[in-house]
Formats: sequence, C-alpha cells, structure tokens
Amino acid sequence: MINKVLIVNRGEIAVRIIKACREMKILSAVIYSDPDIDSLHVRAADEAYRIGPAQASESYLHIPKIIELAKEINADAIHPGYGFLSENAAFIRAVEDAGITFIGPGSDAVLLMGQKTAARTLMKSSGVPIVPGTTEPVRTVDAAIKAAEVIGYPVMIKASAGGGGKGMRKVFNPQELPDAFEKASSEARKAFGNDAVYIERFIVNPKHIEVQIIADKFGNYLHLFERECSVQRRHQKVIEEAPSIAVDDATREKITSAAILAAKACNYVNAGTIEFLMDRDKKFYFLEMNTRLQVEHPVTEMITGIDLVKEQIKIASGEELSFTQEDVTKTGHAVECRVYAEDVDNNFAPSTGKIIHHRMPSGPGIRIDRGIDLQTNISVYYDPMLSKVIAWGKDREEAIVRLKRALSEYQIAGVITNIHSLRWILTNEKFIDGSFDINFIENEFLPLVPEKWKQGNSDELKFWVSVLGALLKHDETKLKANPVNCTSTNKWTSLRYE
Amino acid sequence: MNDFVVTISDEKRTVTVLNEDTVEFDGNKHPVKLSKINNHVYLLKIGNKVYEITTDKLDKDKFGFLINGHYFETTVRTKLSEKAAEYLKNKRLESHQDNISAPMPGLLLKLMKKVGDKVEQGESVAVLEAMKMENDLRSPASGIIKEILVAEGASVEKNQVIINIE
Repeated sequence: MINKVLIVNRGEIAVRIIKACREMKILSAVIYSDPDIDSLHVRAADEAYRIGPAQASESYLHIPKIIELAKEINADAIHPGYGFLSENAAFIRAVEDAGITFIGPGSDAVLLMGQKTAARTLMKSSGVPIVPGTTEPVRTVDAAIKAAEVIGYPVMIKASAGGGGKGMRKVFNPQELPDAFEKASSEARKAFGNDAVYIERFIVNPKHIEVQIIADKFGNYLHLFERECSVQRRHQKVIEEAPSIAVDDATREKITSAAILAAKACNYVNAGTIEFLMDRDKKFYFLEMNTRLQVEHPVTEMITGIDLVKEQIKIASGEELSFTQEDVTKTGHAVECRVYAEDVDNNFAPSTGKIIHHRMPSGPGIRIDRGIDLQTNISVYYDPMLSKVIAWGKDREEAIVRLKRALSEYQIAGVITNIHSLRWILTNEKFIDGSFDINFIENEFLPLVPEKWKQGNSDELKFWVSVLGALLKHDETKLKANPVNCTSTNKWTSLRYE
Repeated sequence: MNDFVVTISDEKRTVTVLNEDTVEFDGNKHPVKLSKINNHVYLLKIGNKVYEITTDKLDKDKFGFLINGHYFETTVRTKLSEKAAEYLKNKRLESHQDNISAPMPGLLLKLMKKVGDKVEQGESVAVLEAMKMENDLRSPASGIIKEILVAEGASVEKNQVIINIE
C-alpha cells in the first residue's frame, strides 16, 4: 500500500502525477526550487517542500536532500517523472536502500540500458534488431576507421553513455572520421564524464517509432502499441502521435514483439519505452530504451484508455496487471504537440517571463497537460516546455483538425510561444500525408526560418491586428485618459439573422 | 495625428483612426468596435466579424498579438514618431554603430570574435547558454568589433550589451 508519493520533478509531469495520485486517494508531495514557488505543481500538490536554490544540482538533482526529505515526511514512494533523476541508477539505488518504493524500474535495468554499448550487446543476443555497428566501445581512431569500413559509410559516432544528441557525429568518408571521432569523444566526456564512443551505420531518412511497454513484478509483459515521434528538432521531439501512419499491421506485430523481447531481456518492471529507427522498407532497428515515463505518454493513453501513471503506481505497490494483451485495444488516433516558450524566428531562443494570461483550449477530444498557470515564472533554469496539447479523433485526420482548432483557441501572454509554428507543421503536406521523417524540421521548416514560413499567413489577420494596434496606440496617445470600454459585450448582439 | 504606421515583419501598413468607431485603411472606411475582456484580451469587431486577440505589450511601441493561433510581433507608431524612428535608423546606418545585447538572461559561454575582428551581418559572434540550451547570438550589422564588454563565463542580464560594433 502506498499512502504518500513524493514527486521529484516539476512542471507538467509533476502535475500529471499529482492527478493520478488524487484519483487513487494517495497523498502527493512535491519539491520545488526558489524560482518555482509560484509553479502549478506547488499549488496543485497536497504538500510542497522547498528543496533548494534554482540550480538543479542544488535542488531537483540533489539526491541526499531528497532522500532525507522523503524519510522525514514519511513518503512511502518516490515518482521521478522524466528527465532529472528518472534514469539515474545511483538515485534509484539510494531510494531502494532507504526502504522507499521507487515508482519505476529497478536500478539494475536502468544501469544496463544507460550504457548504450552494453544495451546493444544485450539486444543483439536477445534477437532484437540493432543498427549494424560495434557493440563494444571504440577506443582509437584506427579502430574507428576499421570498424567504419566493415559497417559501410555513412556512419554515426555516438557516445556510449549518451542521449539527447550530445556526443553524436555523422561521418560520410574516412577523411572526416578522425576529426569527428575526437569531437564526439570530447563532447561525450564533457556531457557524461565518459569519453567512450561506438560506431553504427547511419540510417538514411528514418522514422522514429517507439513502443510503450508495461510489466509487473509477476513476469507479465504487455505492449501498448507504438508512437511515432519523427517531428523533432535537435533530437527534441515536437509532435508525437499514436498509432503511426507508417506502421502496418504486419510491422506492428513484429515491432511490438521485438519491444517485449527487449523488456524481458533486462528483466524490466514498470512502464518503459523502446525506441526504434524505421527505414523506408519498414525495417526497424533498436535505438535505445527509455526506462521511465515519456513526455508523449498521453497519446498512448488516449488510444488505449489506459492511465499509465496509475498503472505505474499499482505495479510499484506490488499489484498484478489487471488486464491481458488481448484486453489492450486501440481506438482512433491521437496527436500531441509540445508548447515551448521559445522565439522561433530568433533562432529558437528561449523566452522567459511571467505568465500574465492563460486560457486553455477545450472541447471534443482535447486534453491539456500543463505545468503553468497565471503568475508562473518561466525562468532560464529549466526546460522551456509550458504544456502539451493532445487531440484525439476517430481517425488521424480528425485528430489533426481538432489539434489545429485547439491551438487557435490557446491564449498565452507573457512569453513568446511556438504555437504558430506548430500550426505550420500540422498544415504541411508531408506531415499530413505521413511521408515525413526525422529530418522533417531540418529540411522543410528551418530553411523558411526566420519569417518566410509565415508567408502563408493571411493578410486578413495582419489587417485585424494592425487595426487593434492602431486603436490601442490611439488610446494611449489620447490627451484625455479615457480607457477602452471595459465591458465584455456579447459579440453577436448586433448581428441579426433573417 | 491619428495616422498610425503598423509594421509586421518589415511590411508597413497605415491605419487611420477617424474616431472610436471608425478606422480607415487602404482608402476604405471600416466600422469597428473594441471591447476589453481583460488587460490582455480584446474583442475586436470589424464589420460583421469578431476576433478575440491576445495582447502582450512588449515595449513602448511593440505589441505581441496572438490571433487564431497566429502570432504577430507588431510595431505601432504614430506617423510622426515613425518618421523620427526612420531618421534615427538611417543615422545609425550612416555611422555604422550597433551593439549586440543578450536577448535573455544566461551565461556567456563563448565569444567567437575579439576586438578588431570583422563581422558580417547574421554571423554568430557569441554563444549564450540559457534553459539548458546553447543559443547563437548573431550580429545585427556588418562592421568591426569595437568593444567587448562581457568576458566568457560571465552571466548576463536581459538586454545587457555584450559587444559594440562600428
């Protein structure tokens, strides 16, 4: 039995976990750093504790403080969310050692999957297809050149301890290799404190397909279908959907079976995601396993009706899964987009400030998972994601139409957001027909930044905002202070039908 | 006095506010009605169409408008102050003086240039780290680096001048 969960995270995912706890009548406690005092997760939780100053290393990443707090407040479980400490094996071990239930996999599985070369070796021996390449770290330039020759160019050099695009280099020929090798190792050392790299074949224009799996402590392993997350910028996902338009029934059968094999190979428990690259011929290759809840988990929840966070908590408290693979069915289609505080035309610079106005979309098929509310500070210290807008429809077309409609209803003031660029993606032909791959943003959108992508904006909208601008400026410059009428009139009162 | 020049990504439009209920644009008069919902949301009716527009005042003459999921950064000036702004801008171009300032608070990770170096408009001159991400700072003008006011590794505040260019 879990009575109180300490949520070691912030933003929308902390709020998401609070909601699951509340539905299960479990107390939720959160931690916050100084700039987060007005954050939504602090307002929403049953209990909130200051953990430290802004720097994550002194707050959301400070393992001893977190363990001490959990003991002091009698939290019997810890949920890590995603990012921060979620895939930190040392943290998970510290939680286990303190006699607290960790809502997630065991530290052994996390440790194993965190070492990319060890994971590749294990996958290969378990019959999960991996991208052709080395399964051992490559130590020298000479060894790298030899390995690349066997694999065939172009190749990717990747950090063994890696993730998030750091310590990664694409190489087209042997001449480029020595320089790329040095750079990848040096980046890996800086980012992960470990300069080991490995080499694998570069898959041309693949799609990013991942499979959600869930496993209990009784050896039951289930998959919850796939998600497609090919719309990414610098390895950060922007739009995700389930199911994938590119995965047919036969491929789905194969890729979900491979995911189950992968989870079984590391004795995985709880919710996890196996990421694959899929080429044009629908051949797929193991990329990595994310041993935690994903940002994009809601699209899976929308098509399966399964609440992943509640299932995570039930599994952690020792319950057996209450459903079988046959019970897991999918209905319709769901698409999620991530709303970031960023200025797309200004080189995607993060936009900071205070949320001074926030009105969320609503209506059929719309779900918002958010970490912001009025007066929330968007600081430079953390991830600039504000919220996620998720739309469900009976098919992909309806989901996209609903998502576009929802984005046009979304009102945020105080920071600049990427909402309008999300709309651009949703109306792009390659996104709509499903032919997009992981280079979509780089090839289709970035050449039009800055400004050119807005050329499709209607003159009518520009006219409208011009009139509003002129009226507001007129009001400001009037000698007599006579504020704009403050009544919210019914906008249709003066329209007459018939 | 009631002519306003509205600039949206380099396009300029002139809107004349005849009175509180009428504006003139492109030689046509339009009946308008403006209601304020709160400090950041306005209901604007032009003819028979109504739009709800989210508004953020960015600085003295700058507004951010969010309308139907489209965002417009808009500079609005009276005709007179627009002329003054144009004059100042030309003046600046003549003397080739410009500066690069921090668009957000952060950590100055790297400087690509030193005093006396040539820069081209749009060239990256520095890397600023904010929100776990590295952001390129690009030069707004071509010229020679005259002065560097912040050292590598130092934190900068929003709008703090980092480099002067001549």
